Amino acid sequence: MRIIEIDNVSFHYKAGTPVLENVNLNVDKGEWITILGHNGSGKSTLSKLLVGLLRAKQGTIRVANVELSETTVYDIRKKIGIVFQNPDNQFVGVTVRDDIAFGLENLQVPRGEMIERIEQYAQKVDMADFLNKEPHNLSGGQKQRVAIAGILAMETDIIIFDEATSMLDPKGRNTILSMMKQLNDEGVTVINITHDMKESLYGDRIVVLKEGRILKDDTTKVVLADHKTLEKSSLEMLLPLRVLRALEAKKVDNEKVRSYLWQLSLTG
Amino acid sequence: MKNIVIGRFVPGKGFLYRMDPRTKIISLVLLMASAFVIRNFTAMFMAIGFMALLLVAGRINIFRVLSGLRPLMYLLAFTFIFQLLFNTQGDLVVAWTLHYSPLNILMVTALVMLWFFTKRHVKFKFFFFLATLVGAVALVANLRLGPAFATGTLDIYESALTTGFFIVMRLMIIVTLSTVLTLTTKPTDLNLGLESVMSPLKVFRIRTEEMAMIISISLRYIPTLLDEANKIMLAQASRGVDFSEGKFKAKIMQIVSLLVPMFIISFKRSDELANAMEARSFVPGQPRTRLHQLTWGLADTAALVVSLLALTAVITTRVVM
Amino acid sequence: MAIKFNRVDFKYKGDDKKGYLALSNISLSIQGEGEFITLIGETGSGKTTLVQHMNALLVANSGSVDIYGIKVEKQAVKKKKIRLNPIRKKVGLVFQFPEYQLFEETVLKDITFGPKNFGVPEAEAIETAQRVIRIVGLDESYLDRSPFNLSGGEKKRVSIAGILAMEPDILILDEPTSGLDPMGRNALLKVFYDIHEKLNKTVIIITHDMNTVYEYAKRVLVMRDSYLVYDGDPVDLFTTKNIENWNLDVPDILNLMHRMEQDLGITLTSRPRSAAALTNALEEVLR
Ligand SMILES: Nc1ncnc2c1ncn2[C@@H]1O[C@H](COP(=O)(O)OP(=O)(O)OP(=O)(O)O)[C@@H](O)[C@H]1O
Ligand SMILES: Nc1ncnc2c1ncn2[C@@H]1O[C@H](COP(=O)(O)OP(=O)(O)OP(=O)(O)O)[C@@H](O)[C@H]1O
Ligand SMILES: [Mg+2]
Ligand SMILES: [Mg+2]
Repeated sequence: MRIIEIDNVSFHYKAGTPVLENVNLNVDKGEWITILGHNGSGKSTLSKLLVGLLRAKQGTIRVANVELSETTVYDIRKKIGIVFQNPDNQFVGVTVRDDIAFGLENLQVPRGEMIERIEQYAQKVDMADFLNKEPHNLSGGQKQRVAIAGILAMETDIIIFDEATSMLDPKGRNTILSMMKQLNDEGVTVINITHDMKESLYGDRIVVLKEGRILKDDTTKVVLADHKTLEKSSLEMLLPLRVLRALEAKKVDNEKVRSYLWQLSLTG
Repeated sequence: MKNIVIGRFVPGKGFLYRMDPRTKIISLVLLMASAFVIRNFTAMFMAIGFMALLLVAGRINIFRVLSGLRPLMYLLAFTFIFQLLFNTQGDLVVAWTLHYSPLNILMVTALVMLWFFTKRHVKFKFFFFLATLVGAVALVANLRLGPAFATGTLDIYESALTTGFFIVMRLMIIVTLSTVLTLTTKPTDLNLGLESVMSPLKVFRIRTEEMAMIISISLRYIPTLLDEANKIMLAQASRGVDFSEGKFKAKIMQIVSLLVPMFIISFKRSDELANAMEARSFVPGQPRTRLHQLTWGLADTAALVVSLLALTAVITTRVVM
Repeated sequence: MAIKFNRVDFKYKGDDKKGYLALSNISLSIQGEGEFITLIGETGSGKTTLVQHMNALLVANSGSVDIYGIKVEKQAVKKKKIRLNPIRKKVGLVFQFPEYQLFEETVLKDITFGPKNFGVPEAEAIETAQRVIRIVGLDESYLDRSPFNLSGGEKKRVSIAGILAMEPDILILDEPTSGLDPMGRNALLKVFYDIHEKLNKTVIIITHDMNTVYEYAKRVLVMRDSYLVYDGDPVDLFTTKNIENWNLDVPDILNLMHRMEQDLGITLTSRPRSAAALTNALEEVLR
């Protein structure tokens, strides 16, 4: 079932410099989509269009079969959570606790459940000890975790992560990713914007943006092996494939190594 | 910059922290009203004593409050001096003849020089400044060194002293009270309290929830703006602006170079704050559930009674006396 | 010795009286030239706090930091006894969040801010800006734009350009590659490495990317829970230490080598630290 339909959408901040051009993209319910692309390719802009923080200059966006418009935007936002690229931009509450509560208050979650969820999600992102701290006085990675908890707690059907793990340590990143995986298994649709090629292995599909256009939209396997496309959008292949291609270029042909590296590059 | 405490919540313990924000807001209004009504000395001294008691009992760091008053000092001093010079009612208390003689002026200059070169080593700069000022005037009035080329008079009337005193005290009480409120009340609670206190206004079709949100966000914004200023200062410092440089002109330039980005960044921030709130399903005017709940305790009733008593007391004394 | 930490403790004034201890008993020396250091460690371990001491943006509560012979101490700084400007000229710091660093109306003004403050004439500063904006992978059209209306990665690049323009002796970068696209990341790491190699300057990079550490670092510092727990060679770190405890991870290259050894029985004679070197080593074995 389609949950997001983006139909021929274009956008610009300033007339004459298009930021997104004729973007078409469909997402099925329960899918995990990775969005890749060079800096300034329009990833964050696209995500803001999806939650109605920006309005498309052309084209339509439908979420769960409802067209995004001024009247429907509030209902649609209840279905989509977005973790912003800069966690600082996301904090509303004065303490970590209040901040996680903010979204829940808006969704009119009863107080008892709210308290439970705050505890639960703070624990999940490993920030339970920091509930009384001011979000602005946290380290970079801690801010990202709080931002993630604030959105996860809202338990929306769709979650957009805009480079949400860029400042986490390797272990923290793995924790968050496996949490995302678990949510996805439970049916949550995940849209993950990232620059970490390895993260895309979690997803079913990769969309590559370049200068505001969709350059490629295919399964993870296909895109990760598509050297030309990746290069065009300032991306790179995973290490095993890079080594494999380099060996090929040197005309070193060893079938065993070849198939091994190929296998590795698809499983991580 | 960090010293400015108006609008900032500082976590702590003490009964003021545990009190219901509604009580605090209502009491604040009642006590402020009392401060305005007071016209006699005993009452004013009692009020000051009451404030001191409040700070001590509430376990609030008095230095914090004082440093919050600091930016106000010059305003207060100015008000007071203004009264001294222009209020001519009541009995004449001081009638000094000022002698402007070369030697006198030389002495005053020496005093000012002394102030200028020692001020950086003195802790309470403002009081040092006041003392110097008073000292300079006293010098000119009392010393008669050599022939005067001109004379002037300094007349101070009773009413000037009393009015000046009352104005200054009132302002200080008001600022202290509001500082105590924001210091001990979390912005979220303040928001809830304001909303609840203003809710009778709903009768007049005023959207009280939004008003409360606006008030508390602007209150919250003061420290945020200061943080912002602080961040910019760090960014500038790391790229070579020397904020310890004492030259007046350099200081002015630094402040200017701070103001422009502060405006730009504040606009950007408020935009982002609005986005963040909206993205998390905040819809103005829609009902929300609340994490924080207000609970009315015995202390609250007591505080209200005390504030009410204070107001009635000052009103009666004023009517009767 | 350009920077020397001597038993440094640092506490953030916090919500309660205790404050928050972010650095504990740090002693450390860094040379003024020829070092390429990566600083790693779990989220909240104190990395950002540590580097902010290196150009006196923060001042230790106890202990002292010596920066180019200037002893930065609480009392001295409070009484304004020392001038911090010379320190800032020599030690350039790129902040973790570009939003904290950018403040001017245009990118050009922002990049020239540093040089102009240190007395570089306007024309020369503009030339520098035109040069560094290219180095960070943007073109000159960005110079007229507002730094606040850029994408995350573009902001990051501009903030790096602003410090490169100051040409400091020691270049410190707080997570410079987070938010950069992969090719941009590689290119900029190369730029930092060149600055180190060709100009013999010291570069310190905070990162969570183990590959960066393994490929570039000559020396690694690991922080954990406000303590400096490792100061030494990157290869030793990944091969002999229990890095799991420090929330770290094995670099891709090392990981791939291990797995090929385990699954295919291919043992390399050398210890390659880049993809190209790994390919060469494999070629040698497979031929
Ligand atoms: N507020 C704004 N006003 C004007 N232009 C903007 C604004 N925000 C972004 N842009 C421009 O729009 C383009 C797309 O920006 P966007 O933030 O969507 O990129 P992105 O793909 O998320 O990049 P990154 O990987 O760096 O985060 C960029 O060229 C950027 O300069
Ligand atoms: N302004 C502040 N006030 C109070 N505590 C702070 C402040 N800044 C940081 N801290 C705390 O100090 C500790 C160290 O923070 P620091 O920013 O140095 O971590 P970090 O190693 O850079 O982490 P990250 O990798 O997440 O950026 C953290 O636990 C953080 O919560
Ligand atoms: Mg982005
Ligand atoms: Mg940090």
